[in-house]
Amino acid sequence: MAKVLKINKGVEEGVKEVLKFLLENERVKGVFTLRKTGKNGAVTYALIKDPSEIDNCVPLYPLMPINAAKSLSTLTLREPLSESLALFVRPCELRAFVELVKLQQGSLENMLILSSTCGGVYPLKMAVTNNTDRNLEKYWTSLRAIETPSDIRPTCKGCEHFLPYNSDMTLVSIGKDIDKSCHVVLNTKKAEESLRGIEEEISDGELAAEDMESLRKRRISEREKLFSDLKTEDFGLDGLIDLHGKCIGCHGCSSVCPICYCRLCFFDSEVNEPGFSSYEGEMRKRGGIRVPPKTIFYHLGRLSHVGISCVGCGSCSDVCPVNIPLSTIFLKIGNAIQGTYGYLPGKDLDEKIPLQTFEEEELAKFEQ
Amino acid sequence: MTKGAVIPKKGTTEKAILDFIKEAWEKNCFDSLLIPVEIPSGDSYTYLLIQDPSLIENASPLPPITSVQGARAISSITRKGKVTKRIAAIMRPCEIKAGMELHKLEQADLENVVLISVDCPGALPLSDYVPDSKTGKEKFLKVLKEWGGESVRPVCKTCLHFGAELGDLHIAILGDENSIYLIPNSDKGKEMLRSLGISAEENLPGWDTKISEIKKKKEENKKKSEEQLESEVLGLDRLLETFSKCIGCHNCMRACPICYCASCYFDSDNTEHDGTDYVDRAENKGALKFPCDTLFFHLGRMSHMSLSCLGCGSCEDACPMSIPVAQLFSFVGQKNQELFGYFPGMDKEEKVPLVVYKEKEFEEFEDSH
Repeated sequence: MAKVLKINKGVEEGVKEVLKFLLENERVKGVFTLRKTGKNGAVTYALIKDPSEIDNCVPLYPLMPINAAKSLSTLTLREPLSESLALFVRPCELRAFVELVKLQQGSLENMLILSSTCGGVYPLKMAVTNNTDRNLEKYWTSLRAIETPSDIRPTCKGCEHFLPYNSDMTLVSIGKDIDKSCHVVLNTKKAEESLRGIEEEISDGELAAEDMESLRKRRISEREKLFSDLKTEDFGLDGLIDLHGKCIGCHGCSSVCPICYCRLCFFDSEVNEPGFSSYEGEMRKRGGIRVPPKTIFYHLGRLSHVGISCVGCGSCSDVCPVNIPLSTIFLKIGNAIQGTYGYLPGKDLDEKIPLQTFEEEELAKFEQ
Repeated sequence: MTKGAVIPKKGTTEKAILDFIKEAWEKNCFDSLLIPVEIPSGDSYTYLLIQDPSLIENASPLPPITSVQGARAISSITRKGKVTKRIAAIMRPCEIKAGMELHKLEQADLENVVLISVDCPGALPLSDYVPDSKTGKEKFLKVLKEWGGESVRPVCKTCLHFGAELGDLHIAILGDENSIYLIPNSDKGKEMLRSLGISAEENLPGWDTKISEIKKKKEENKKKSEEQLESEVLGLDRLLETFSKCIGCHNCMRACPICYCASCYFDSDNTEHDGTDYVDRAENKGALKFPCDTLFFHLGRMSHMSLSCLGCGSCEDACPMSIPVAQLFSFVGQKNQELFGYFPGMDKEEKVPLVVYKEKEFEEFEDSH
């Protein structure tokens, strides 16, 4: 049986107490979590060294300004951390970072990983209109009732992986007493060791499996609805054109995607630049051509590059200036690709990404 | 007084523009046409390069939004490989100006392109139009009628080049309700009208008056919005606050017609550091925001492109956090441009100041020590 830390405070305060304990007692040298700053209360990730800064932190704020995996990769791309860091990130951010580590774009060394059962996050658009704060009460009411908050990102509503994999500590942020008591499940010896001497009760315990199972079932049926509403099966080329026609080619979806790590994307490279002769050829064939061309090629290409590792975090949809439901498309197709290989991205650090392994006999049923 | 040709309308303004284009095409003034067309789902527009004249029927020379900045379209077509066809391109004035800048920066080749601008009432923000294009279309009809109003993008409200004679040929639609005016602005434009047997010698006092009336209103808007902007962004603290929501997606840079680099410095490994560098910075400041250096990116981008910034608004349209990035960039851009006496997009032959060297320049900014 695992150990559980109990703090007689609401979860938002409780998690800050844990982070402060870790930093003040030098169990870690830094903390990485969401922080609120400035007059307009912008919520962003921050690397915190000064324990008093923990007071400004909002680890459970229901917003994902960027997928944390991107920043953790920035931090550890060249070399693993030389001193220990506690991070508090959402399960899908952790999964994305595990994928990046497998892709050699970062390192988990010297990281003490805190995550939580995840209630989902609101779309960035809500932060733009400063409406997130106004929705907080509603959000926490839903989590206390073990329900999915309305208005969260579509892919969050349909996410069944809201229990983190690979975390040293899992904060219970969904449950009826979360405004009064904060439970942190200590999954590893490292977690137990890091909290040595904390003046709070640590006892044997586990996550309330039944509640989580019932929520998972509801999330799965929500996801099925989301997927069937998308109707990719009847798409054909016309459906693809309808869905992607308004794309302005900003490639914001690629630049915020935690899995799209290339410095220079193939689709932005000169190799992919058409040149006048290809315009001429297309005009000869079809009478006319969209400029810039290859919009669907870009999206399908990106899908084939990242689909196997897509964790459905929703960042791509959040930044799309023309509201293409990218994360739903990517999650749906991604899930299908992952199912084909029996691969769940971000779950097992030792399992290689299928594209990195070669099997002589594989997927024979797709051969002609 | 501006001189041009008066062409009576048969039907709507859009139809009149298309009728003229069709006639010019039939009379072999160009081989293919770059023009905005509504996409099949009906909630946005795209540029199409067409050589089949029947495709012109779906074209919209006056789209309510700018999805891809037209200069990016021109660059995509002409940057690589010899342009062997004569292309006519119909665009908003700010797109034409950006196209001229890209030509100077050797990212577009206008040799075989005839640029045709149309009086511009402004464009609606993408974020307003795309989710509800039906209401958007109604709003835009009102914009066309009132020539401006509250629903156009902030930079459009203060744009003074909405009716500038730009490119090769300008189509004026503001003069009177029954005609459109054709105003040639280069030898190419004059040649086009000559080959169509159109004389452009009529005085256009009605158009001149309308333009100056609207300009006056826009100048007032501009003064007010600049005062407002200054109070919001002046000084490092306010600037940091303005960009505090930036998530570092660089959509602004990718939508910008002037930012043409395939790989931006700010996406390159020059901006990649050892982990200890970040840790040290966090140590010094108590905490370090991630993604970091977002203000460095915006100021860097500004210093790279502001002399050519046309205030087209594409950056702001693409920003998922609604940061007033176009308002800020065009404000600073215009100040920089005034210092150099340089007005981007107006003259194809005038060089971009950064490629001109003067031994004595801006001595007032030199350090006297």
